Amino acid sequence: MRDWQPILGLPLWAWLFVFPTILALAALAAPGPTRRALRPLQALLDRVYLLSGVLAAICMVSILLLIVAQIVARWSGMTFPGSTEYAGYAMAATSFLALAHALTRGAHIRVSILLNIGHHFGLWLDAVAMWIAAVTATYFARFAIKTNIMSEMLNDRTQGQDFTPEWLISALKMFVTAPSDWGKLWAETGADWVYTPVWLPQLPMSIGTVLLALALWDYLYRLLITRRASITSEAVE
Amino acid sequence: MGEIYTTLIFVFVLFALLGSSVWIGLALMGVAWVGMELFTSRPAGDAMITTIWTGASSWTLTALPLFIWMGEILYRTRLSQDMFRGLAPWMRWLPGGLLHTNIAGCTIFAAVSGSSAATLTTVGKMSIPELRKRGYPEYMIVGTLAGAATLGLMIPPSLTLIVYGVSINESITKLFMAGIFPGLVLASLFMAYIVGWHIFAKDQRPAPEPSMSLGQMLSESRFLIPVLMLVTVVIGSMYLGLATATEAAAVGVLGALTLALFQGSLSWGTFTESLMGATRTSAMIALILMGASFLSLAMGFTGLPRALAAWIDQMNLSPLVLILALTLFYVVLGMFLDGISSVVLTMAIVEPMIRQAGIDVIWFGIFIVVVVEMAQVTPPIGFNLFVLQSMTRHEISYIAKTAVPMVGLMMLMVVILVAWPELATWLPNNLRSGPAGG
Repeated sequence: MRDWQPILGLPLWAWLFVFPTILALAALAAPGPTRRALRPLQALLDRVYLLSGVLAAICMVSILLLIVAQIVARWSGMTFPGSTEYAGYAMAATSFLALAHALTRGAHIRVSILLNIGHHFGLWLDAVAMWIAAVTATYFARFAIKTNIMSEMLNDRTQGQDFTPEWLISALKMFVTAPSDWGKLWAETGADWVYTPVWLPQLPMSIGTVLLALALWDYLYRLLITRRASITSEAVE
Repeated sequence: MGEIYTTLIFVFVLFALLGSSVWIGLALMGVAWVGMELFTSRPAGDAMITTIWTGASSWTLTALPLFIWMGEILYRTRLSQDMFRGLAPWMRWLPGGLLHTNIAGCTIFAAVSGSSAATLTTVGKMSIPELRKRGYPEYMIVGTLAGAATLGLMIPPSLTLIVYGVSINESITKLFMAGIFPGLVLASLFMAYIVGWHIFAKDQRPAPEPSMSLGQMLSESRFLIPVLMLVTVVIGSMYLGLATATEAAAVGVLGALTLALFQGSLSWGTFTESLMGATRTSAMIALILMGASFLSLAMGFTGLPRALAAWIDQMNLSPLVLILALTLFYVVLGMFLDGISSVVLTMAIVEPMIRQAGIDVIWFGIFIVVVVEMAQVTPPIGFNLFVLQSMTRHEISYIAKTAVPMVGLMMLMVVILVAWPELATWLPNNLRSGPAGG
């Protein structure tokens, strides 16, 4: 356990792993109050998972459109620089953004032999598995964000021939800039297209992994509150 | 001694996590995390994200969601029933009947897709409901599908062969050509198995299909034409060098959408359903790939796969014994790693070994694909088992059991390859100026 800097006096791992676990224990000990406290948040999260899944689907359509544009460009004797990079970014966005949505619909697969042994045993095992999965996914999300921030700090640029308009980069940077500095940010923004900064396509990775971790904790709480598995899935009829 | 200890830790943690029903992708990630914390001083998390990001944003991967989407479109519209209706008249007279559509369908789709998961998804979504409706025994449906879908790795275009070709600096076109005949032979072996089942398990045969005249047969096969057209366009564009695999996949999606539109079965509902379904399936596979790439990285840091390969090298074996040892080695490795990872991790040691022993590297590429195909259907980690589990909701153990005869046939295929190496080497040696692309 290296590399976990303290935040507000506590190491980061305490915030990421210990507090969510304490909340899980609270859900186990006092289902009623926890359910009332979490219900509005869960209603919101349900929409967020779905929205993120829809965004992932849109990214998949954009893979298709990018590749079709590439074919058309080649047939008509033009070049489409960076098309493979753009398609790769869309691919990553498709995969990461859909992670949580796929989880809530039971699309992710697991070895469920022991889950089906008995109702009571299965429930506890499911809770343990969800806890392990939630901790692993939180670890995953934490380093995705760290890498994403590092890419921005090191001003890491693409190795390919793909460009991004500067205004788009500035518009996204507004979210992490103090409003008092917005004027300065836009004053430095030109009308040019620049080599894509790596942090930009990495944003869906951060968002998607965080949502996956959130969804796993969320469904762990739901399991402990209702004592019923709430992940349903559609099988081939 | 150190390696044995490391191996045991990895195996134990892997079994513990998978057994306690942690989702596969996250379980692989968890094992890798534990391995990195225990055995290396490298910062595990940063290395993990670098590897996962590179893999997840790669151009070659974009073919996967598109081929899955194409399958979803075929499945959610009436095109799949039509393909079945069209294939049925031609398969019904074969002993074993419509089960052959699993093999024929997989062979056709393997020629469109480089991934066994995409082949399995596409064909399975079409054939499982239809075969169940007709009353074929479940173990034959699932087993033949699990086996035949591995043809996706062998029949070009194949992602595993591309990775192999890149890591040993050999022509990928040659490797693709080498895969054609062994792929067809393996498909015939699967079909022979179905014929054998038909002869020896008389009581399990479902009611025969209603008889039909030649005219009816021909008119029914017009239903096959749309899908055959689609396959021809997809394969054709690739083999004529007009499009890469990913571009062919895009053409396939557009083609499937166009056909469904003409057939009148494309609505906003089926379109969004197919899109969201494909998004979820590809996210499921992506999560496993992410976990596998982190696990490969962690195992690479511990030096475990290399130590095992070096240990085999020390024993100075004859080529035949070497192949036997490597078969065992890859089967065991394939139980825990996906095919591409086991190829990438071991090639640095195995390549000098086989070159020194005088084994043809093109032939070895096909050999490794057959062995990796077995790994796809052997537990605890077999990709086809997972995909089939998510499609049929059967237990992994049940699916693995149904696939045992298929593993036997693949073993036979290894023997055939060793006995007649020309099967793989003849085409690449004699057709040097093959069609471009790949």
